Amino acid sequence: MMSSKYDIKDDELRVIGKPAAPLKTDKDKKKNKWLLAAMAVIVLLCGYLYYSSRNAGSIGEDNEEGLLEQIVESDASAVVPEVKSRLGNVNDMSNASYTEKIDTTINDIPLSIYIPHNAVAELCLGQPDMTDSGIVFCAQAADIRKDNNKIVGGYVIKGQPLAWGLSKKGYCSIIDNKITIGTAQNSPLFEEATEKEGYFFRQYPLVNNRTIVENEIKNKSYRRALCDRYGEIFIVESNTKESFHDFSQALVDLDVDNAIYLVGGVNAKGWYRNVDMEIVDLTRVGLEAYKYENYIVWRDGVLN
Amino acid sequence: MKKHIIISKGTELLRIPADMLMYVSSDGNYSNIVTVDNRTRLVTLQLGQVEDILQEQLADADCNFLRLGRSLIINTNYVYFIDISKQELIISNCLNSYHILSASREVLTKLKAYIETSIKR
Repeated sequence: MMSSKYDIKDDELRVIGKPAAPLKTDKDKKKNKWLLAAMAVIVLLCGYLYYSSRNAGSIGEDNEEGLLEQIVESDASAVVPEVKSRLGNVNDMSNASYTEKIDTTINDIPLSIYIPHNAVAELCLGQPDMTDSGIVFCAQAADIRKDNNKIVGGYVIKGQPLAWGLSKKGYCSIIDNKITIGTAQNSPLFEEATEKEGYFFRQYPLVNNRTIVENEIKNKSYRRALCDRYGEIFIVESNTKESFHDFSQALVDLDVDNAIYLVGGVNAKGWYRNVDMEIVDLTRVGLEAYKYENYIVWRDGVLN
Repeated sequence: MKKHIIISKGTELLRIPADMLMYVSSDGNYSNIVTVDNRTRLVTLQLGQVEDILQEQLADADCNFLRLGRSLIINTNYVYFIDISKQELIISNCLNSYHILSASREVLTKLKAYIETSIKR
């Protein structure tokens, strides 16, 4: 997300123009004190064990190595900084394309998280073909206007602009296979998508830079969102009817960086292929298809 | 002569006196640069890239810029009000510019401590 050579968290402060170093508060200093004390104890323990193992003739060579290795490992883990883990299966080394589903509950809201693996995203008009074995996930993307059944908000498909509206500030662009999710009244990514044969659509913003975005709509419904969490893109769906606020708050609590809404409600359509290549339909109550019904689709493929 | 910040990209160049820059906020892959004349200019750089430019051009200057989390760079000269409980930060020149920003409680606690420390220096 960020190109700076110094990464930063939302709770960090850094002085610009001087050597980069996060400011330490009293709380941090206390934490460091404990860390230093813990490290000192570990070093002393290492020294003691090393000394006693050297002097204990009864301990065999193998035992000595195992004992020391164990201590070194625990020492290393104590100083390795915490790395935010991805939600999806990171151990999957196969090139198989599928969608991983994770069920979780946040703030008493049951959520399903869908993570497409080894797949690239694009937009398409009309319902995707369920017999197309290359599709691993699809869900309705931009809304359709009630008055003329056309797409709400700016919309670009493979470089071709189909709609230009700005009624919703959330946006998603797919340019050179890179998905960008954000919130802005005007986004140059719309033009870039037209220049680079990319894709662009608008929706309600839910989370902007890890901060909840309030929307006027207050009713409760099944909610879907397209999310970016530390660069990992996935879809989240509520399994109960929720307000925009509660759903967005759950996404913030899931550590999502940016999220926009996807067409939700009981009539929202979509389906995915699981790891066994079985089709799982996400549509609760399907209505007739509209001409400009549009989807975000993940197809098998390798990201650049 | 006043120190200027120069942001040059493609066919455009932006030149701002460093002390006229109030804050920079992240807008997805872009950044909004807000100056004391209440103008906001969108630049096609991520906030981290703007930070790198400030870091480079203000390395030997008496610097007053702080990076607050992932979405803000502020000029500390214009910090007017901090409310940690409401997660509110007001940037103002006490004349005609008044911007209410939001930041995490943790970072506002650190900012408050930083400014309190600067009084003692």
